[in-house]
Amino acid sequence: MNSLVSRFSTTGPIAELRKAKEVLGDDDEFSDAVWGSEAGFGSLANGVPKFSIPQVPDPSAFLRLHTDDHSDPSCRIKIKHGTTTLAFRFQGGVIVAVDSRASAGSYVASGTVKKVIEINPYLLGTMAGGAADCQYWETYLGIQCRLHELRNRERISVAAASKYLSNLVYSYKGMGLSMGTMICGWDKTGPAVFYVDSDGTRLKGDLFSVGSGSTFAYGVLDQGYRWDLTDEEAQELGRRSIYAAGHRDAYSGNTINLYHVKEDGWKFIGNYDVSKMHYEGPNGVGYGYDIRTEGRSSANPPATQ
Amino acid sequence: MECSFAITGKGYVIVAADTTAAHSIIKVKLDEDKIKTLSPHLLMAYSGEPGDTVQFAEYIERNIRLYQIRNTYPLRPSSAASWIRRALADSLRSRKPYSVNLLLGGYDTSTYTPHLYWIDYLGTLTEVPFGAHGYGSYFALSLLDRYHDPEASLEEGLATLKRCIDEVSKRLLVAPGRYKVKVVDKDGVREVEI
Amino acid sequence: MSIMEYNGGSVIAMVGKDCVAIASDLRLGVQSLSISSNFQKIFPVTDRIYVGLPGLASDVTTLHEQFRYRVNMYTIKEEREIEPQTFAQMVSSTLYERRFGPYFIEPVIAGMQRTPSGSYEPFIAATDLIGCLNFAKDFVVAGTASSELFGAAEGLWEPDLEAEDLFETISQTLLNAVDRDTFSGWGAVVHVMTKDKVITRTLKGRMD
Repeated sequence: MNSLVSRFSTTGPIAELRKAKEVLGDDDEFSDAVWGSEAGFGSLANGVPKFSIPQVPDPSAFLRLHTDDHSDPSCRIKIKHGTTTLAFRFQGGVIVAVDSRASAGSYVASGTVKKVIEINPYLLGTMAGGAADCQYWETYLGIQCRLHELRNRERISVAAASKYLSNLVYSYKGMGLSMGTMICGWDKTGPAVFYVDSDGTRLKGDLFSVGSGSTFAYGVLDQGYRWDLTDEEAQELGRRSIYAAGHRDAYSGNTINLYHVKEDGWKFIGNYDVSKMHYEGPNGVGYGYDIRTEGRSSANPPATQ
Repeated sequence: MECSFAITGKGYVIVAADTTAAHSIIKVKLDEDKIKTLSPHLLMAYSGEPGDTVQFAEYIERNIRLYQIRNTYPLRPSSAASWIRRALADSLRSRKPYSVNLLLGGYDTSTYTPHLYWIDYLGTLTEVPFGAHGYGSYFALSLLDRYHDPEASLEEGLATLKRCIDEVSKRLLVAPGRYKVKVVDKDGVREVEI
Repeated sequence: MSIMEYNGGSVIAMVGKDCVAIASDLRLGVQSLSISSNFQKIFPVTDRIYVGLPGLASDVTTLHEQFRYRVNMYTIKEEREIEPQTFAQMVSSTLYERRFGPYFIEPVIAGMQRTPSGSYEPFIAATDLIGCLNFAKDFVVAGTASSELFGAAEGLWEPDLEAEDLFETISQTLLNAVDRDTFSGWGAVVHVMTKDKVITRTLKGRMD
């Protein structure tokens, strides 16, 4: 029913696409990709980017049929899943920490994924869900934020940037976009964190964690979080929380990327190997339970005289 | 949703389980005790399919008791765990398997060591320093990786358990309201308030 | 959701010069949630046989107990220890007994087989979950990281490795393979067996 409505509606992306085709003529032989020098953003000249859509009655159902590895593990295209990302606000700014694992089914496809997207020197976006969706749209958001700066002679607020992204992904709702992201930065109002996802949810808050390992990160994060954390304590908390998720969640791990946003923009603090954190920690004291409690025993034999 | 936790400490095991008995969207009972005392130094928290849980727990309880009557001495925690696991594993391949998850906490009086066993409805058995069943485990396990201490005093252990319960209450949409907490140590089993 | 991938875990065995090695990871998980980093999947059968049981964790324990019982009965009746070759057949028939409701385990067997001349030669074998035996002369793998293990082993294994070199080869194969599998890892254990002794080492693996 939805697909029927969208085919004949005058708003929404499919209608936009139809209109664009009427204006430009049917040039299916040349996709946007041939304008390689514009890196896939070439269609920006026409406003919102246009995408080629499979010529079937219900494109999103077609996509789901071939990519949904939850209901059908043997599907042809496996979109990469599984992540832990977190961001929190505190007295000294915003801490952003993420893992770096990309898994396709049970296979670890990559252990060196950059899940923090540097939108501009004051804005960071995190990546959970569809890697390509997050990368593309947050880069696109960066372009729009720069245009905002040029038009208005001032930096875009975190609230406005996140709202822009939220509205954009909402217009694609039901078409299979998959993103769970935190837009973090510092603007006139101070440090700010917004959670935006592909359902169209947009939330302002102090502390968020997103992804399959988020529950594990929350477990450590909530217990150690205070507004008046020092910079060092806050960075340690972010790092320790991602380690916790990397350790317990099979779909998270490999390395931790840590960022700190302050008044003068974000700073990359470091890349930390989860296993090195387990055995040695950031400064010689391992995070690992077995390492931390080595030599300690719960037995209580009576003292021998 | 059902949640149970258990942690070992210096000479004791704390076992905690929520006290709600739910049926569809209704909480039918708010103070159900889901921790059985199997023998003087053995506790078992059970959760899972309604009906199966109590039936299975009572079957285990009676058989562990029978063993003690026959042999004067009760089974040690590791032996009890093996026997209970076998009961679940056999049940799994029967016509109607029990869907029951267990946390078995005991104090071995001959080695002066507390033991905690994590057992699921498939008959998976593993000894752990701390364990949890239900959605609570997704929050509690990372927290316990960070805060658990095998040499913690009972007060410290209960404080750590409180952290787990608070965290689950804070983050879990379907978090239970109340928990019953029991301790087993060299003096036997007792209930504690948190 | 596959039952074979429910708990995770992998085992590999390799042949060397007058020695064999068998190794596994130590993870026990419930799908993505890791529960224990000390779940042994390899068990001694006799002084000269080890069996690795990757698959459903409940059946790991059940089959371990089953094999222990059958091997003990064999030892009592025959008044001698079971040979690896014979044990492999026992594993196979034990699994086939459950042809229509199988144990979800793919066993790997490693041992030193006594030859008619009285010396010992390395023996490895693996079966599928209903007992189809596969005798190999180089290496056998099983578990959630089996495809990764095959790849790593094809690249690293060579004939006639001495015990110490075999240890290095099997360790590197296992550690690198499980790092590419989300359901295996969390530590590893390696047993290297020669005709007169077994050396067991626990490896520091990635913990994520």
